[in-house]
Formats: sequence, structure tokens, C-alpha cells
Amino acid sequence: MTTPLVLGVLAGAVLSGTSLLYATLGETIVERSGIVNLGLEGILLIGASVGFSVAAASGSAWLGLAAAAAAGGLGNLLFGWLVVTRKANQLASGLAMMFFGFGVSALVGAPYVGAVIVGLPKWRPSWLDGLPWVRSTTLFNYDLLTWLAVPVAILVWWALFRTRWGLGVRAVGESPAAAFAAGRNPAVLQYQALSSGGVLGGLAGAHLSLSLTLTWAEYMTAGRGFIAIALVIFSKWHPLRAIAGALLFGGAEALQLQLQARGSDISPFLLEMAPYLLTILVLLAWGGSRRLAAPASLGRTFYGSD
Amino acid sequence: MRNKLGFIIGFFVLVFCLAVKPAFADSPRLIIGAVYVGSVNDYGYNRSFHDALTQVARELPGVKLLEAENVPESTEAERVMEGLVQQGAKLIFPTSFGYSDSARKVAKRHRDVCFEYAGDGDTAKNFGVFFGSTQAAWYPMGVAAGKMTKSNKLGFVIGLPIGYALGNVNAFQMGARSVNPKAQTVVVVTGGWSDKAKEAGAANALLDQGCDVVGMHVDSPATIIQTVEARGGMSIGFQSIEARALAPKGWITGLGFTWAPFFKDVAISVMAGKFSAQAVYQGLGQMVAIAPFGASVPAEVQGLVNAAVTKVASGFNPFTGPLKNNLGNTVLPPGASVGADQMGNMNWYVDGVIGKVR
Amino acid sequence: MPEARMAAALRTSQAVRISLRYALVCAVALAMFAAILLAAGKDPLKAYADTFTYTLANAYGFSELLVRMTPLLLAAVAVALPSRLGLINVGGEGQLYLGAWMASAGALMFPGLPAWILLPLVVVMGFLGGAIWGAIPGVLRAAKLVNETIATLLLNYIAPLIVSFFIFGPWRAVDSSAYPQSSAFPEAARLPSFFNTRIHAGILISLAVLLAYWLIMEKTRWGVEMRAIGGNPEAAQRLGIPVAVWIVIALAIGGGLAGLAGMGEVMGIHGRLRQGLSPGYGFTGFLISWLAGGRPLGILFMAFLFAIITSAGDTLQITQGLPYSVVNILLAMILFIVLARRPARGTAK
Repeated sequence: MTTPLVLGVLAGAVLSGTSLLYATLGETIVERSGIVNLGLEGILLIGASVGFSVAAASGSAWLGLAAAAAAGGLGNLLFGWLVVTRKANQLASGLAMMFFGFGVSALVGAPYVGAVIVGLPKWRPSWLDGLPWVRSTTLFNYDLLTWLAVPVAILVWWALFRTRWGLGVRAVGESPAAAFAAGRNPAVLQYQALSSGGVLGGLAGAHLSLSLTLTWAEYMTAGRGFIAIALVIFSKWHPLRAIAGALLFGGAEALQLQLQARGSDISPFLLEMAPYLLTILVLLAWGGSRRLAAPASLGRTFYGSD
Repeated sequence: MRNKLGFIIGFFVLVFCLAVKPAFADSPRLIIGAVYVGSVNDYGYNRSFHDALTQVARELPGVKLLEAENVPESTEAERVMEGLVQQGAKLIFPTSFGYSDSARKVAKRHRDVCFEYAGDGDTAKNFGVFFGSTQAAWYPMGVAAGKMTKSNKLGFVIGLPIGYALGNVNAFQMGARSVNPKAQTVVVVTGGWSDKAKEAGAANALLDQGCDVVGMHVDSPATIIQTVEARGGMSIGFQSIEARALAPKGWITGLGFTWAPFFKDVAISVMAGKFSAQAVYQGLGQMVAIAPFGASVPAEVQGLVNAAVTKVASGFNPFTGPLKNNLGNTVLPPGASVGADQMGNMNWYVDGVIGKVR
Repeated sequence: MPEARMAAALRTSQAVRISLRYALVCAVALAMFAAILLAAGKDPLKAYADTFTYTLANAYGFSELLVRMTPLLLAAVAVALPSRLGLINVGGEGQLYLGAWMASAGALMFPGLPAWILLPLVVVMGFLGGAIWGAIPGVLRAAKLVNETIATLLLNYIAPLIVSFFIFGPWRAVDSSAYPQSSAFPEAARLPSFFNTRIHAGILISLAVLLAYWLIMEKTRWGVEMRAIGGNPEAAQRLGIPVAVWIVIALAIGGGLAGLAGMGEVMGIHGRLRQGLSPGYGFTGFLISWLAGGRPLGILFMAFLFAIITSAGDTLQITQGLPYSVVNILLAMILFIVLARRPARGTAK
């Protein structure tokens, strides 16, 4: 029985889009506070490696998941110490974090390469089984992270746009000096944004190793952290648009695999290129308009109230 | 007083000797260097070499093994091999197909170091080539898949479209066709030997498109086998016969490598100063082994597979003309054949394979 | 005269102080990394001694340091030059790939040309490839459409896919197997190499570029204008300096230099176009330029240091059985220490 192309692509897009979405949400929070973390790839790797190692050592994928979240948060706190407390250059610090992630994940994961784990459990509500085609695909047969991906995106949107905390974070991202003058503490808000973003990044990595592939291999993220950084730009720093973005970027990968499986001969590389070209077009179309643009203070260092 | 001093000096001399002794005792008769493209614990390709070489180092006294994992098929490879030579390696195994250019350059610079490259091409005085002839061995795998499939659609995930991988796919399809005229094989290329997330995506895509048996040619079969197993599909393993542990329900059978006897012979010949560079391609029963059948495989199918194994072992070459590619063109006229030593050059899919080489 | 001598002495003592500071940073990082090695059950002293033996105290090892430095120097100047205008180029990786691609196109399309035409042609094409990839963000920035940090970053993703498309597709070698790589380039397109090592003419290009960068920045009117724009673009505009033109030119030249690095890799070392031809040289170049504060001598020193550290990875792996990637921790340690102790005040943009 052949699944229609659209359903196959959608199923694949959800599976590979899950980790992209968590990583994108994490980076969105961080960038909304005025900090860009180019080292997201390293955070994902640490999450994937720590999650897998703990799951393999303890026999519990849930413990692995918790450890990955904690490791991701800690990784971003280290980054925060550099860029918030020590006021270091953000781009250079991010690349340093990337190298740190390469090294630490390799060291932590080395003893567990080839280990066999029981991954995160998946379940599909029985009433969905009856839908046509669903039974033969991965649709709606998801682990907890995938089921919660969209609710988490909504939660992040709510936290950023409907709470006093989110108002503070965004104010810091626009102008730390103004936020400071308004009685908010930019450093504290940035640390909070970084740690919550790091937790999401750790979960993104853990989804790759604990659910999607059930293995750990060096550099298994294969650029997904960088894709998430592009996704933040594509979704214009907005958590809800990130859902569509993650489906689009995940869908591009799923589409090229599905097309191959149907014997089509469109080059996979042209298909993979499409989302990036689209991102640039979106930027051009919206270019110049201040509304919906990058946080004004993104990438700048705040030296205090002076 | 004198006695005491003598005792103390004697004590320190003893300690010194004990400390230094290992340095003398350790001087090995042969250092073997190995370069792997992935991790040695990958449940697959790299582990097969690691296990064999460790066995050689254990069984032959005075042989020491130096290994480098995760070495990309780029400028890095040449540097690592040069490093192994600097460390005293006299026999080097570049074990990935993409190391060809780098290994040949290093071999040219160091005529006193012997190389055994897992691939094809010209040999030189100090440069031998070898590989397991897995292609013919995939024929019986195809027989198994062709009998077990219900949808008549078989899937195959390959990392990079090198000749060996295409040969594996082709023999698989021909074996399946021999028992099931409706069998087709769908190929998905991930673009790397170890992109785990894409491997999972590829396996899912194949199952979505109706394939119910999946074979693979990537470094580690673990991700694909586990993905297929979780969705109730069947798999044919590759690289490691241990991989059957990953699929208690859907495992049919699989192929693994047994390099140790050949590696041992090579190591002995190097130590004796009698290395002779050859092109060595050995198939079933020598470098290639078949894994046990899974519990779900009926006796009738096992019988057919075993018959095919016997046929291949007695010299049957599936790549014998007349043979058409999947575009309908004749690639092998009657009587022509492709031998194991030319397998690296294969650049076509046989009729019944759904996929494009370029 | 005495004044000049005093200034010179001051400069020397400053140079000594800076060197001492770098040495201290390295020492602290080495100590921290040693602790990690100890925790992993390895012998750090032996690891460092081995690294020294097989890189600095060994002709082949030393030659490989120069091989590694060749693309790093170019990738660093590719970042440093635009940074003088306050422009951030994080697109070195993509520019490198496109340079390699264009150079390969030259070599594959005109295989019959003699070396004295073909070699300059592939060099120019390599430069042009990178320059195009740098000019696009330049134009977007000059037109105030897209910030150059974002545009250069996004173009990084596209260039390797273009390379993959061609080596899996139209350029796939037909001579041997179906392995995804281009045919071997004609000898006439290959950069000459020296001393029976992998050191190739690219190192001369790198050093010449570094020298030219220093001359232009310190000794010409262009350098003055660029610094004026970097200091205060609005004021520079009022003074009649064509800021928009400068932005495009600086990013294009920067991209072109990264493109030359890619050209050097394919024409000097690989001899064909393949996947994975850069292990992140573009990003490493960014870090080198940043650590060196864009200063030419600093770039030379930092590229050398990075080359040693990455070589240490090979040694650690072969003699200590540690994953190669672990050496990235040492790299990160050095970066962390430098980043944490020097607030980059005023350079943030």
C-alpha cells in the first residue's frame, strides 16, 4: 500500500521537524533577549550525547531526557557567563561554544557508541487508528516530545508576548538601557532566557538520539543547529511562525527522501536549497520594515546603565 | 653504614629497572595502523575491521594496533595516515572507499610501509587492495526478501552511490526477481555513510511508500533496523551479523564481514618481510558471512536461500550477460560478466530497481 | 630621534607584554585541558610531549602546520577586512565553497589550456566565486534591505549544496566508480607543491594577501577611509566617502579571499572537487580574526596556534586513543579564557 506523497512528506516533516522546532523555540527566546547564540549546534550535540549516555547507563530514556535538558541549560549558562557577565563578543563566544559542544559530546558519548537503548515510548490514540492511511504511516504515533511540540510553541509565545516576564525579555532585546531605566534587570532576564532556551536546545538534541535514531554518533546533528538559526530568521523571531518554519524545513528533507522512494529524479540538493532561498526572499520582501524585524539590540553587548 | 647506602642504591636501581623495563619489553615486532571513517563501536562496518584487527593483535605476539576513528574522507585522511607512519606503523589499513587518493599518496612517499586498502584500483609494490565480495552474497539475501515480501516492494538505503553499493542493490534485486517476478527494489541515497537522522527518514520514507523489507549499505545498520522494526517492517542486515539483536521480530537474515583470517595472513607476511601486494576479493565463506535466520522465516524460504548460497559459493555470478539496466539499455551482452575486481566501477541499476545513479 | 627610539622601545615592550599574555592564556588552557585528560584516564604530559614531537619537532608535522594555515590565513583576512568597516562576515564557509566550485568549473571547462593561462584563470575564478558570494550580502546591506550578518550566514548553507549538486550530478567523474567527486583536474590547473610535502603555492598567496592587507590598512588612503566608515558611517558619508560602494567592495573582496582559500584546497591538495572540503575553515577564520583584533601579525600567530591545536587532535587520537573531536575542548578553553578576560568594548555592533 502506497501512502500518498503529501501524507508521507507530512509524516516525515513532523518527525524531523520536532527537534528543529525545539531548537528554534530555544534560540527564539534567546534572541528575543538580544543575544544570538551561534553555538546552538554545540548545545544540540551536548543534549544528544548526554541524553543518550544517561539513557544507556541508567536504562531509562526519561532520565536521559531530563539530563539532556539540564545539560542544555547548563551549556547556555556557560555561554551566558561569557556574553552577559563577561560581556564578550556574542558571535565569537557562540562559535567557541560550538567547538566546546563538538568536544564535550564526543568525550561524553564515546563509551556509549553502539549501545542499545529503549527509546522514548510512542503512542497513538486508538480513535486516530481508524483514519484512512494513518495506520500505515508514522502519523500521530509520537513520543511525548513530538506531542508537546506545538503546545510548547504556544507556551513560548504566551510567555514572550502575554506575560510581564516576556515583556521584560523583549524590552531587553530592543534596548537594554531602556529596560534598565524602566526598572528591569537586563542581566537577570537574559540569564533566564538563556537557561530556558538551553533546556529546549537540550531537548532538541535528545529527540534525535533518544527517539528518532536511537543511536549516538559524533556530530550526528549534521548541521541541524545551524538550520534552526536560519529558521529563527525565517520565522521572524516569532514562536508560532516557527511551527510552520520547522514543518517547511523538515518537509524539505522529507520530500527529497519520499521523492527518491517514489523513483523521482529531482536533485535532492536543489530541494534542500529551497528553504534557504525562501528565507532570503522572505527577508527581502519584508526588508526595511521595522515591524516584525530582528530585535533591535540583537548581538550587541550591554555595558550597564552608563 | 656502607651496607645501608648500598641497599638504598640497590633499591633505587631496582625501582628504575622496573620502571624502565616495560619500555624495552614493549617494543613491538609490528605496528598496524588502521583508519576508520566512523566509530569502532558502530555495530557495523568499522566495528567489523576493529574486531578483526584486535583479534590479529591478540593472536600474534608482538603486534600492536594503532587506530584512528571518525577520520573524514578529506585532507584529514592523508594527515592521519602520515601520523600513523610517524608512530612506526609498517602496515596500514585505510578502510574506507574514499581514502583512495590519500592512501596512494602516502604509500608513494613511504615505500617501506605496506598498505591494504579496502577498495579497488591499481596495486603497487607496497599497496594491496582487498574487499569482501558482498555483491554475489546479496543474491541469496534477495531470494529471502523476494519470498518474504507481501507488497513486492523492497527498500534499500545506501549512503553514497559507490559501485559496491550499486552492486549490492543489483544482486539483491536479481535474487528477489529469481523467486518473485513482481519484485522491485526502491533505492534511497542519504548522501553520507553516517547521517543517522537521514537514515531514519529514509527508512520511514521507504515504509511509507509501501516497502516491507529493507536492506541497507551504510556504516551502521542500527538506526535503520530499529526504525523498520518499530514500524513492523522486516529487515536484512549488513556489515555485522550481530545486528540481528536489534530486530527480534522483523529480522530475516543478513551479511557480515569476517576479515580476521586474511588480516592475519597479511600481518604474518609483513613481519616475515614477504608482503606481496595483490587484489584480493573473497566472498561467502571467506570474508563474508551470513547471519542466522530470524524466527519468522519459514523453513521453505530458508531452504531456497540456502540453495542460492550453495549456488553462489560454487561460482555463480549474477552479473553475467545478457543484462539490461533499469533504463532498458543492454549493459552486459550475452557472455560478458562483471567480476569482483571491477565491482567498484559499476554505475548502473539493473532492471527492476527504482532509482537513478546520477 | 630619541623620541622615535622611545616609541620603538614602547612598541617592543608592548609586543612582549602581548606575547606574554598569549602565552599565559595558552598555559592556563593547557592546564585546564590536562585536568580533563587526567579525568579521562590519559597522561596529559605524554600527550603534550607527543604533540610537540610530531608537529613542531618533525619536518612532516611542521609542513602540515603550514598546509593547515594556508586556508586559515585567507579565511581570517576575509573577516578582518570587512570588519574594519564595522561589517560582520560570518559567511567565510560559503564563500570558500563557492570559490572552490568556480575554480573547479574553470579547470573542468578548459582542460586543454596550457598552465600559464589555466592556472591564473582558476585563481581568478576562485576569487570571483567567493567575491560573488560576498557581494550579494554587500548589496543587500548597502540597500539597507538585510543585515549582512544574517545574509552571509544564510549563504553558508547554499554554497555546499551547490557543490554537492554538481559532484553528484553533472560533474560526477565517469572515469572510475560512481563515487561522488569530479574528475581529476588537469595537471596544468594544479597549484605547484614544494619539498615533496603538501605545502603548495597557496601559502604564497596567503602570505601575499596578509602583507597587502597590512600595507593597505596602514599605508594607504583607502585604509584611512575604511576606518573612517567603521568609526562613524554617517560622518563619513557627509565627508563625501561613498559608504555604500565601500560596503559592497569590502564584502566582495573579503568573500573573494575566502574563495581563494577554497581554490587552494581543491587545486593545491585534492585535485578534484569533493564533498566536505572544509572542516569549518570559514568559522575558524572568523575566530582567528576576532582573537587577533584584525591585526595582520596577530592573524599569523593565531592561525599558527590553531594549526597546532588541530594537529594535536591527530596525535591524541593515535597515541592516546581519544576521539579526535576532544581536542575541540582545548580550542574552546583558549577561546573562553580570551573571551572572558577581554570585554570587547566598543567593537560590538
